[in-house]
Amino acid sequence: MMNEVNLLTVTAAVFAIMMSGSGQSRTNLLLYAMQTFFIALACLAQAEAKGSPELYTVVIGIIVIKVLTVPYFLSWLANKIEARSDPGAFLPIPLTMHVSILLFALSHFLALGLPLFKGIGSVASDATGAISLLLTGMLFMLTRRFALGQIIGFLTLENGIFLFAVTQTKGMPFIIEMGILLDVLVAVMIGGLFVFRIQKSFEHIDVTQLNGLKE
Amino acid sequence: MILTSANLVFIVTLTIMPFLLIGVIKKIKACFQNRVGPPVFQSLYNLVKLFNKDEILSKDCSWIFRSGPLISFSGMLLLCLSVPWLPLQPPVPGCDIFLFVYVLALIRFFSIISSIDAGSPFSSFAASREATLSFLAEPAFVLALVALGISAHSSDLALIFGQPIENNRIPLSVWFFSGLALFLSGIVELSRMPIDDPSTHLELTMVHEAMVIENSGPNLALVEWSYALKLLLFFGLIAQCFVYSLSKIIALPPLLLPLSVLVVMLALGCLTAMIESFSVKLSWGKNPDFIAYAVSMSLLSSLAAFAMNGGS
Repeated sequence: MMNEVNLLTVTAAVFAIMMSGSGQSRTNLLLYAMQTFFIALACLAQAEAKGSPELYTVVIGIIVIKVLTVPYFLSWLANKIEARSDPGAFLPIPLTMHVSILLFALSHFLALGLPLFKGIGSVASDATGAISLLLTGMLFMLTRRFALGQIIGFLTLENGIFLFAVTQTKGMPFIIEMGILLDVLVAVMIGGLFVFRIQKSFEHIDVTQLNGLKE
Repeated sequence: MILTSANLVFIVTLTIMPFLLIGVIKKIKACFQNRVGPPVFQSLYNLVKLFNKDEILSKDCSWIFRSGPLISFSGMLLLCLSVPWLPLQPPVPGCDIFLFVYVLALIRFFSIISSIDAGSPFSSFAASREATLSFLAEPAFVLALVALGISAHSSDLALIFGQPIENNRIPLSVWFFSGLALFLSGIVELSRMPIDDPSTHLELTMVHEAMVIENSGPNLALVEWSYALKLLLFFGLIAQCFVYSLSKIIALPPLLLPLSVLVVMLALGCLTAMIESFSVKLSWGKNPDFIAYAVSMSLLSSLAAFAMNGGS
């Protein structure tokens, strides 16, 4: 039973792990786009298995907004404010990758302990991928120095939640799925605007130094 | 050692393939630079030329300097005859994972002390770099092989690799991630491009090439030959990892297996040449970041091995 692994979700989680190992903003965004693309493919497989036409629209929405628009916008932003390479905070970046592999193992055991939805395909490995994406996104947010890294970490976390929702339920209402997608787009735009303003006011986007702001 | 047809294939490929691989890599790199490039078997001609040359020794050298290349060549030859780098049973049976790793470490130890023995500051500097790199890359290499061993329930390399497809029970993800980990750590061990530039002796890039800078004549020939054998050994194991993971998706006829491994080895040579043409050498401080990816791949592979082992 354990040999049944959904390669798409696990590949998305592996791309997230590889993303957390690089400090280059553009590499991070490229790997984020790959990871989201595999999530879109997993969603497509779900759409075929469940036979729901709404999920196909969601797949198209993911590819247009999260695979193409958001990484393109963020890499434009990274170029604009010259935040090309993140030095990392609290934990060296290669070690972050190894810790996120440990979190992947942890999420495997967590997923085995969950009362899982008895649905299509290999639900346990889908849950593993989703929880691992969530934890990797959180770790990514914690260990990055630049505010741009916080946005990418947040997006990875959101990918994890979305994947969990798609694979572990019988399907959410269409309007909610599309609403979340729109929320993500708006959040990225506002986050990008904030990063831009922070850069303009302080001439850096180092979040560890923002602690000194409180009076 | 009995001369069966499998052994014959093994030995014939052993004599031709290392030089072919090096030649293919050089030829493709030359194509990318708009040069004609040396003939494919140029490294073989170089070998013959070097064996006919005189040897110049520094007056401060001891027997260690002379014996280093001999030990590395004989060790590599032993490994090439006992490690199944083609999916056939090797001529000398019974090579363990740990024997493989420790013979490689022994060879590295002797090449390091023989380059220090020559007394040149260049080669001792390169020797210290080589020691650092191998210290960083070895965990990835060992862990990838051990992950395969866990899935195969054996540490005998001939039971892991070199098996017919039917009784191969290592899962796809373990093969694939181990292949990636072996390829990335192979780049480090073979001192290829993002880590070390094999085509220059410049101060910035000197690891392997500067280590052997004092060797000349037959001694240099042995060093180059053992490097070619090491390339063959690594590429063979990596190619098998990828061919086996492919065979989990597409059914390959068993007779085609050795042939497809040879093709994948040449493809890996092309890939290496392309990486060397398009990438820049990493600065020395960035090397651990690169090696971290190799370690991650082998960690993922051992994780997959543990997770899949529980269920099957």
